[in-house]
Amino acid sequence: MASVIGGIGISHTPSMGLEYDRGMASPGGFSPRWQPWYDGTRKVEELVEQLAPDHVIVVYNDHLNYFDLDNYPTLAIGVGTRFRQADEGWGPRDLPDLDGDLAWGLHLTRELVEREFDLTVSQDLAIDHGIFSWLPYVMRRPWPVPVTPIAVNMIRQPLPTANRLRSLGTALRASVEAFPGDDRVLVIATGGMSHQISGARFGIANEELDRYFLRRLPGHLGELVAVGVREYMRLGGTEAAELALWFAMRAALSERAEAVYTFQAFPAITGCGALVMAEPGALPAHDMEAKR
Amino acid sequence: MPKTHPAGSGQLPPPPFALDEPGTIEFTAERALAGQALNRFALSLRSPGGRARFLADEASYMRRFGLTSTEITLVAERDWTGLLLAGGHLQAMLKLAATVGQDLWSIGAHTAGCGRDELIAACPRTVSGLPEAPAAPETPMAPETPMAPGTPMAPGTSGDDA
Repeated sequence: MASVIGGIGISHTPSMGLEYDRGMASPGGFSPRWQPWYDGTRKVEELVEQLAPDHVIVVYNDHLNYFDLDNYPTLAIGVGTRFRQADEGWGPRDLPDLDGDLAWGLHLTRELVEREFDLTVSQDLAIDHGIFSWLPYVMRRPWPVPVTPIAVNMIRQPLPTANRLRSLGTALRASVEAFPGDDRVLVIATGGMSHQISGARFGIANEELDRYFLRRLPGHLGELVAVGVREYMRLGGTEAAELALWFAMRAALSERAEAVYTFQAFPAITGCGALVMAEPGALPAHDMEAKR
Repeated sequence: MPKTHPAGSGQLPPPPFALDEPGTIEFTAERALAGQALNRFALSLRSPGGRARFLADEASYMRRFGLTSTEITLVAERDWTGLLLAGGHLQAMLKLAATVGQDLWSIGAHTAGCGRDELIAACPRTVSGLPEAPAAPETPMAPETPMAPGTPMAPGTSGDDA
């Protein structure tokens, strides 16, 4: 059977992507605001390479760049051989499309529905900065691995509950293990940490909350789920609701999975964090030892 | 809600831990319904053709999407706060901002009631607070790992986040 070998939680923002393009193209490198994020994600890139996944499932949220409000799915899965980049209003960035894997897309759809996750199936999904902003920081081009994207509503109320996203993670793990063969699957969940981008609270930055979240998620999922989405919104800004997506990643891993790397920064308006977790034996032994 | 806002009107107060207006303009289901035409119009600007047609003749483009005269005025005045209150989703309004050469900071400054530069200088607006009543700790599933401290950053003008 296929297996989940690790998980990553990571933030996304439009500027993260634009700053990557700018930083890599400029002789001066990254801006002072974003240099720490580039530096901090070097280790993530290295760990992804060592984890050597055959397939990646990404739980993310679209920002009205593909879906629109006339039909807004709470949960949607991309099924196809290719996922193009969405135009967010400024035109697309110079990045290759994502590869899909039909066998995985069809399998996950079937298995998730079997486990009572009735996802909207998107056969022509275009992906926005929810994935493309952090991707070049953690994977080299051409993208080394096909992806199955799962989009979660963070746009229109009511949002799914924290517990629903934990259940999604549990169902993802079982669905992966029902896949024939021995593929190694990495589950990535992406959402901003604390941030709010409208109203008088614009720019709220609760780094204490972000650090607490990164510290507690590996070993205390239940505690963080119990906090509830609205409490994260109150403390960390409305868009901190996206932290709930990280629960799907943690729940897709076993209790024996361990955090191998965490990093946090606050470049501009969005709390940016990364957490890499690995199942026992998924990484070369020295990496698991190095952290102790 | 203020439609005008003096630029550089002093230091911004720390954002409160509350979800009411004007601190937060939530996109409720009611706003989603009220803003149906407005959002449809704004999301049409995701295509280069839509952007070009809008810029060529803003008002007639908006009338084709069935916007009311009030909504057309809000767009014409780039009244971002009014647009959000009328049911425009922030992410949809960002497409409009991008099309007219503005960005998230423009929307943010309007809704925060301050000048754009003042907002940029004030961000990140650091607050501190943890959940009030965390549930009883569970049995740890894994040892906790030390983490790198966050890096405090100097204010600058580094783009928009969402």
